[in-house]
Amino acid sequence: MSEPSFRPRSWTPAPASPRTGAAAWEAAFATCYVELCEYVLRLVGSAEAAEDVVHDLFLQLWDTRGAPGQGRLSRPYLFVAARNRALKYLRHRRVVAAWIERASQEQAPLVDSPEDECLRRELDDAVQRAIAELPSRCREVFVLRRRDALPYDQIAARLGVSLGTVKSQMWRATVRLKERLMPFLAPPVSAKDRPTYHLF
Amino acid sequence: MIEYSDLLRLVEGECSPEEAAAIQAWVAADPARGELLDQVRALWRLTGDPSRPWDLAGARDRLLRVRGRHAAQRSGGLPARSRATGFLRMARAGPLPVWRRVWVASPWVLRIAVTLVLVIAGWAAWQRGAPPVPAREYVTAPGQRLAVSFSDGSRVLLGVASRLRVPRDYGVRTRAVELEGEAYFVVRHDPAHPFLVRTAHGTTEDLGTEFDVRAYREERSLQVIVAAGRVALRRTEGADSLLLRPRDRGVIDAGGTVTIISGVSLKHYLAWIRGTLQFDDAPLGGVLAQLERWYDLEIQTTDRSLERERLTISFTTAAPDEALSALARVLGARFTREERVVRLTSVRPVR
Repeated sequence: MSEPSFRPRSWTPAPASPRTGAAAWEAAFATCYVELCEYVLRLVGSAEAAEDVVHDLFLQLWDTRGAPGQGRLSRPYLFVAARNRALKYLRHRRVVAAWIERASQEQAPLVDSPEDECLRRELDDAVQRAIAELPSRCREVFVLRRRDALPYDQIAARLGVSLGTVKSQMWRATVRLKERLMPFLAPPVSAKDRPTYHLF
Repeated sequence: MIEYSDLLRLVEGECSPEEAAAIQAWVAADPARGELLDQVRALWRLTGDPSRPWDLAGARDRLLRVRGRHAAQRSGGLPARSRATGFLRMARAGPLPVWRRVWVASPWVLRIAVTLVLVIAGWAAWQRGAPPVPAREYVTAPGQRLAVSFSDGSRVLLGVASRLRVPRDYGVRTRAVELEGEAYFVVRHDPAHPFLVRTAHGTTEDLGTEFDVRAYREERSLQVIVAAGRVALRRTEGADSLLLRPRDRGVIDAGGTVTIISGVSLKHYLAWIRGTLQFDDAPLGGVLAQLERWYDLEIQTTDRSLERERLTISFTTAAPDEALSALARVLGARFTREERVVRLTSVRPVR
């Protein structure tokens, strides 16, 4: 159960004064749980497994709370620890080596900079336009799924179509949006451009 | 068959770990698919924040519950007296690869009978009007393990001195088996035909998973260890069930009390699969009972003081004498053996 020992190159210190024990744990959980799940989901591909990985991480942090090491509940630490656990999980599941390689090169989400914020607004407009221009059935399915977070079967029931139709419409919407928004879909950052933490 | 549209399920996390692994393998097979996946993910990030509604409050509740139990287990589970000198490192180092299912190729020299059994799903027989398959029973002697494969893809490794009964109606509506002893199950999940393990003290239901069930008659309890996926645990009487997750240990004792401890060591509880017997601060009585099952022995202790001992020890050997000498060294005891009968006596007073 070894957690990484690493020195990130830089990170913004937590705004509040360092808390210890249970309160710090609670705070870290409340602020990072969803993001960590999202991040681990990207690596392992299964929400169920992602929740288990993050769950175990927080359980272990609880057991070792109060131990020396200021950064143990900091964002960078949590993301690296979560990634290591996700990779360990993938190895246990004996997922093909190429996938583990991909997962190990994933970059942890960083804090948005003001420039990101600005770009984001421009992007939002483009995204809204692209969604509005989808064929109507396609758009209906996509919006019910992405905005209202309805499960596929409920979308099928609501629109009175088959589950297969919902799936194919979702995929059609995805492909169309992808074509529309291609200029904004940043190429994946190559491994060399990333800050490297040596963990293994 | 995996299709491009399955990438969406991967991005949204709408798949079980097994399905995720299959789709990941499919993606890894072709760089173009990987590129497409990256684009879909980027698109998902653009069109809304989280890919799914994560249940933060539920997760917090679960963690708080588990946290309490976990803390209790840790503080109560420390050995009464450290036996640093007695800990035998006979087991090879390295974690137990629970997911590497090389049961039969294990280096362990115990007799392992391997059979491939086709339990024809009952409904198939029923549909063709053929007579139902007879009930089958698999029994292992002390010192013997048995790997059983079902036609639905599920597999069972039956531990020593255990009995697994597969009723005639296996697969008709449910896939219920009856167990006495210990077995490790790798179940091919099928919601339409739930897989149930019935024991004297309760029932374990598979919800897509790998798990270990232990219910030796003389232990008068049921213990379930989850290695992967989900399991529902129910008392023999009563409909309410408890959900167990990976690394949960659920126990139903003779009085029907259910205890769940999270974050247990799979390596420890599943060591038997690799042919290692592992005990961690275990009462001598339990250790002896297990040695009897593994080496087909009858062990007698005359010394009352020994019975209070708790020990941390592991055995990997196939030779009963080697195991017994290791035990004797740790206990500071002496043993004599005649055929199956072993006498264990203390040579020095217990400190």
